[in-house]
Amino acid sequence: MDIFANLVIGFANAVQPMNFLMISLGLLIGIIAGALPGITMINSIVLVLPFTYLMGIVPALLLMIGVYCGGVFGGSITGILFNIPGDPMNVPTTWEGYRLNRQGKTQYALGLAIMSSAFGGLVSALCLAFFAPPFAKFALGFSTVEFFSVVVFGLASVSVLGSSSMTTALISLFAGMFLGTIGTEAQYGVERFTFGLPFLSSGVDFVAVLIGLFAIGEVLEQLVGAAPESVPETSVRKAMPRLPLLDLWPLRWPLVRGTAVGVVVGGLAGAGATVSSFVSYGLERQVSKTPELFGKGHAGGLVASESSVNGSTGGAMVHLLCLGIPGSAATAVMMGAFLLHGIQPGPLLFTKQPVEVFTIIAGMILANIIMIFMGYVAAFSFATLMKVPAAILNTFIVVFCFLGGYALRNDLADVWMTMLFGVLGYVMRRYDLPIAPLVMGLILGPMAEQYFLTSMLANQNDLSVFVTRPVSAIILGIGVLLVLWAIMKAVKGRRSALEELVMQGQMTRVEEG
Amino acid sequence: MKLTRTAPAPVAGILLSTALFFQAGSLNEIAQPGQLGPGFWPRLALIGLALACVAKLIVDVRFAYGERDVCPALPPPVSRARLVAGIAFIGLYVLLAPFIGFVLATVGFIAAFMWLSGARSVPMIAGNVAVGTVLLLYVFIKFVYLPLPKGDGLFESFTLALYRALYLF
Repeated sequence: MDIFANLVIGFANAVQPMNFLMISLGLLIGIIAGALPGITMINSIVLVLPFTYLMGIVPALLLMIGVYCGGVFGGSITGILFNIPGDPMNVPTTWEGYRLNRQGKTQYALGLAIMSSAFGGLVSALCLAFFAPPFAKFALGFSTVEFFSVVVFGLASVSVLGSSSMTTALISLFAGMFLGTIGTEAQYGVERFTFGLPFLSSGVDFVAVLIGLFAIGEVLEQLVGAAPESVPETSVRKAMPRLPLLDLWPLRWPLVRGTAVGVVVGGLAGAGATVSSFVSYGLERQVSKTPELFGKGHAGGLVASESSVNGSTGGAMVHLLCLGIPGSAATAVMMGAFLLHGIQPGPLLFTKQPVEVFTIIAGMILANIIMIFMGYVAAFSFATLMKVPAAILNTFIVVFCFLGGYALRNDLADVWMTMLFGVLGYVMRRYDLPIAPLVMGLILGPMAEQYFLTSMLANQNDLSVFVTRPVSAIILGIGVLLVLWAIMKAVKGRRSALEELVMQGQMTRVEEG
Repeated sequence: MKLTRTAPAPVAGILLSTALFFQAGSLNEIAQPGQLGPGFWPRLALIGLALACVAKLIVDVRFAYGERDVCPALPPPVSRARLVAGIAFIGLYVLLAPFIGFVLATVGFIAAFMWLSGARSVPMIAGNVAVGTVLLLYVFIKFVYLPLPKGDGLFESFTLALYRALYLF
């Protein structure tokens, strides 16, 4: 009952003009910054931090929450429209959304992204309000062993399964994992595979790789006329998103699964939106009745990943508000805002300052409702670009890739990296090598390494720890079962395809005879 | 598909991952006894890469000498000249930006790449060059505070003069 009463007070505070303005402004900044390649959601939260010095703690945090919620969604707009994911967490959305766009279903894809993102965010904010303290307690029991299992689950489920060729997917995955090891190693401080090049000492920036592989690769493919499917003429009206409430109904299970994964994985300190989006996408691919359509414009894949991205926001806030431990980089910056205003987040926050806490939670709920309209306006604005001729659009995409790469560290070496990976992206598309596993290996590989080595260090190199700890064993067990099931399905499908070929051959011979 | 076309890539992958595997061995010198060391994870990835390449090679050999009917088709033909020109324009853009500055490099790149992409109307190209470059400068210098390359010598003077004329400073 207390929670309801506090939430009502929180809402009354959140709709105060100043607070409401901060949420809206934050959303606007977040969506635009998230959509621009190279300017990540974290960058935009950091950029607004100095402006919060003169504000009270509530408007300051509402501004940052607006940026947070808008930022995690913004990257999906350019991902769907131009194949440029604004952030690594938007990569699975891009895989499916861009293909839907190329099939002429732009408004459907954008609408699904807006609605599923808002749904995920709303549910996670409600979970934050009602289940934050017990969930925080549960999540505290997670160690690097469990994190490693979650990351391996994400790696295995997305990378290997559903690709047309498992061997090429594995090559791509391990190449990505290797690329992820380049740079200074965190535990020993040793430079690995830098070959004396100073810019490599900080590693291969995955944002530069993403921009190159997806955007430049696509531009080159269109330039030489080898795009996999013909691009339908998309008018602005067609590209304008619609809010597909009815379209969401058949996708209710991917939506629920994606949101659940987002809330749970987002609630594990250190995991965050990127891991949750890949895990939910992989899970969806495993349970889908049409896994062969993944990567070709699968609405369920888009909905699952997008809902989990925003679903992770509430989970990440659990740690900050209940334990005073930032669960992600974004919440770490928010913790800075708390401390700047002399408030120590932690277990006592809910009892000592319930009004502030519930205003923030109500602000998150409001932010996700406003985001439906803001996202619609932003998507419409970006969608008008779809009418621009390909010659202009592709040229400016390359310029934006230059700027996106350069903005990472103000270093032209990153731009070179972007362009080199662009050419690699083209080659991979041309020879039907899957790009997704490479990206997965690059993003999740370093996480897996860090969790694995820390687990080994803490457990005297005892590998059995991954199966003796119950949560880790369950996650790995589910992963193994799903992988085996998918392999069996693939083998069965291959066998029936071969039988069909043999039958066709026999029929032809009979007809010829 | 002939084995001579498909085999070189996995073979190169095996050789490269083997060479890098041995190089990664030297990384472990820093590790204490009983520790996995900084070379462990890259070596694991390289073993995986080499094994996947071996598997790909086996699949290719099977296709070449056995199941020819289910061999994957060759990729569709493309305009190689446009591809080379496109990559060259992008490379030149990045190469020249630090010397002639972002503004001039972008002006040249937009004009050249639009022409390569099929745009032939000079007013359209000129309009996009002018409006696009100015808008980009406003967004990324005035609002994002990105220190874009200004160029060397005369080019730097030109860039700074342009920034002043556009009230970017």
